[in-house]
Amino acid sequence: QHGRVKLKSTAQQEEEKRKEREKKLKIYVAGRDAIFTKRLEGVLDDEALQLTQQLLSSNPDFATLWNYRREILLHLETKMYEAELLFLESCLKVNPKSYGSWHHRGWVSARLPRPDWARELGLCDRCLSLDDRNFHCWDYRRMVVKMSGVPVDQELQFTDRLIGSNFSNYSSWHYRSTLLPLLHPESPDPPSPCHQHSHSSPPPSPQTHSHRVCEEQLLKEYELVQNAFFTDPNDQSAWFYYRWLLGRAEREEMISCVFVSREEERVAVAFSRPVNASSSGLMLVLDGQPQRVEWRSVHPHFRHSPVWPHLIVLPPSFTGRSESWCRDSATDQELFRSELSVEKTSVLQSELQSCNQLLELEPQNKWCLLTIVLLMRALDPLGYERETLSHFQTLKEVDSMRSAYYGDLCSKFMIENTILKMEYAEVRVFSLSDKNLTMLCHLDQLLLVTHINLSCNQLLRLPPQFAMLQCLEVLEADDNAIENLDGLYYLPKLQEVSLKNNQISKLSDLQLLTSCPKLTCLDLRGNPVTQIANIQSELTELLPSVTDLLI
Amino acid sequence: MGTQVKDVVIKSDAPSALLLDKHADYIAAYGSKKDDYEYTLSEYLRMSGIYWGLTVMDLMGQLTRMNQQEISDFIKSCQHDCGGISASIGHDPHVLYTLSAVQILSLYDNVNVLDVDKMVEYVRGLQQEDGSFAGDKWGEIDTRFSFCAVATLALLGRLDAINMDKAVEFVLSCMNFDGGFGCRPGSESHAGQIYCCTGFLSIAGQLHQVNADLLGWWLCERQLPSGGLNGRPEKLPDVCYSWWVLASLKIIGRIHWIDKSKLRSFILACQDEETGGFADRPGDMVDPFHTLFGVAGLSLLGEGQIKDVNPVLCMPEDVLERLGLHPDLLS
Repeated sequence: QHGRVKLKSTAQQEEEKRKEREKKLKIYVAGRDAIFTKRLEGVLDDEALQLTQQLLSSNPDFATLWNYRREILLHLETKMYEAELLFLESCLKVNPKSYGSWHHRGWVSARLPRPDWARELGLCDRCLSLDDRNFHCWDYRRMVVKMSGVPVDQELQFTDRLIGSNFSNYSSWHYRSTLLPLLHPESPDPPSPCHQHSHSSPPPSPQTHSHRVCEEQLLKEYELVQNAFFTDPNDQSAWFYYRWLLGRAEREEMISCVFVSREEERVAVAFSRPVNASSSGLMLVLDGQPQRVEWRSVHPHFRHSPVWPHLIVLPPSFTGRSESWCRDSATDQELFRSELSVEKTSVLQSELQSCNQLLELEPQNKWCLLTIVLLMRALDPLGYERETLSHFQTLKEVDSMRSAYYGDLCSKFMIENTILKMEYAEVRVFSLSDKNLTMLCHLDQLLLVTHINLSCNQLLRLPPQFAMLQCLEVLEADDNAIENLDGLYYLPKLQEVSLKNNQISKLSDLQLLTSCPKLTCLDLRGNPVTQIANIQSELTELLPSVTDLLI
Repeated sequence: MGTQVKDVVIKSDAPSALLLDKHADYIAAYGSKKDDYEYTLSEYLRMSGIYWGLTVMDLMGQLTRMNQQEISDFIKSCQHDCGGISASIGHDPHVLYTLSAVQILSLYDNVNVLDVDKMVEYVRGLQQEDGSFAGDKWGEIDTRFSFCAVATLALLGRLDAINMDKAVEFVLSCMNFDGGFGCRPGSESHAGQIYCCTGFLSIAGQLHQVNADLLGWWLCERQLPSGGLNGRPEKLPDVCYSWWVLASLKIIGRIHWIDKSKLRSFILACQDEETGGFADRPGDMVDPFHTLFGVAGLSLLGEGQIKDVNPVLCMPEDVLERLGLHPDLLS
């Protein structure tokens, strides 16, 4: 029950109300009992229709009664269904949000030899003009459109009208997002061989990816949306829709990095998306010979992961370097930004200009601020880094309820920028120190990293995904708020760990370090755990191979 | 000219302390007055009503105040020949009430008063060729029913009874431009549906298919200046969304994106100090539905006096522990 205000009233008013309800209840119960009796006896008559009509008029969610009416209707000729449609119309007037009423109307319409879909569409038009957020009605409309073959561009025009005249437009924008890919599809990509194998990974639904809309239409759409949020900068729906338009294509499922270590007798494979290597048919072929392999996920938590290490025994005749790797460059993969044509780039640049103008008029508008950040990411993530950081600071101030979201989003962008910069430098040493990081992500990109610096951030933990850093030898993570080391799970080359000034408080928090066979140096100074009695001897017992222990 | 943000204003004298005892009294007494008009009109969902009442009592450590025998007998008499369970005696079976019945009996560790095999067959029979689930033999399709189906089977340890790959395919086809989910393919995102779909994907072990950052953003934007959560853009806040939205965020590992203290204040303000129970928003009439979701929401926010609730199944964690059920959550 929603929206029932509690009203105070006098004792007399209470008594009158009580008597009234008692009367109503008696009538209702009599009706209900009569119906149930008839049904038990298998009666399918007009009186049953009358009785159920009375109850459904005030209680259309009483689903069993709709069922009973359907049983009766199945015994009548379909020319009798007109009365049912009229009855339903009156029900929907009273309660336009009853699942039961809408479903029943759909059932009746579908059973007619010649359903009047134009009439049904008219009903939807009227209903939506009263409440254009009624999702029951929108769903019913979609069914009518499908059954009667209403052209997609006609429906697109319908959304144009609604968006032009109303403020609460989310449902219309949403509908557009489903119509556009149908009317203006991007030319279909040739099917990737990987897709054939991914049984557990069905094709993404058309509406989740704006790259499925051809560019010409996409650019027109930018203009449409911009008009909307310039007319009303607080119209949320337009800003949500715009973010979708700025989105990038989802990456094809493919191998992004392979690492081989003769010394460790290991092969590790990183994919562009989480996969289940055991069921995906990932094969390892050595000098033309397929190998029997058992792929292991980096952490027991994950059945699906981007990174899969495997222990193999390389034959003694295997010559070559002690380790080697093969990695797609992040820039080539268009890892963090979509491919931008010249037209799209110039459109986005002018969008950015306009949004900046809007920001001058509405400096506290968080939608505008966030959109500017997204535009800058799309155009030049590294070039706009400074402005991006400044805008995030403002966002946390003007929309403080969501400051944790902005902290994480900013962290993500800073990590992306560091990975992009990695392209021009070493791939094995990675520094993220002093970047206000509240979380870690894109760890699947760091398979080859041997040295990582996470110091002076706001990290609370090293998440399970951290176990993807299969080559890691040195970890510096001082001056954070780390209390959880879930991700330090079987890192085969990890030798040195520095965790000064964090929040590790229990011996059990360090348990997982026993899974790292090469660990010899551990710095825990400035953690609450060092205050525990006998901590020195406890740690020596837990981690006997750590010869260099600082507490 | 611009749109005003739809929201409520919390009065300064709104309740700010948690009144668990009053809520327990409210639920214990609810339905004892069988001549209540609202109570009778809601008979069509009685099984779910019992599940809401019992679950909130268990979360408050007060389950023993309810009449287990009476409820068990009632549920038994609601199982039909086809194996499905109805909301009440004389009503027709439906997957919604089949789930509620199994949830109730799981609280009591007493599922075997029902014919479990027949129930599993009933659920299996509701799956369509495209992987979707109908609610009953009359064919309404909705992702809510996908959730009800797998949740029921998970509690019974019988997930193998359905075509999981196809079921997943259908749910994923309901994913929208904003990362959310609707009732059917093409339906608008709605917090209730998002809860059902993320819960479904958790049970199916397919949470990695969710765009957690995008969906998490949409979900945290449900929080309004009053601190309360709405179900989709431009709607009023409602305490039941403290559950649908919050549980979804917990499942996808983004619950910290909500301002917890402001939400807590909103939920507490929805209490009725006089009658006990929670209403959808401050000052409205209370009911067991909003009482459960208010309390469950507080549990997810870490309220010490309330037992831990499982975000996927909306049942006490200790019950699921006993059943050995640990649905995935994203970190």
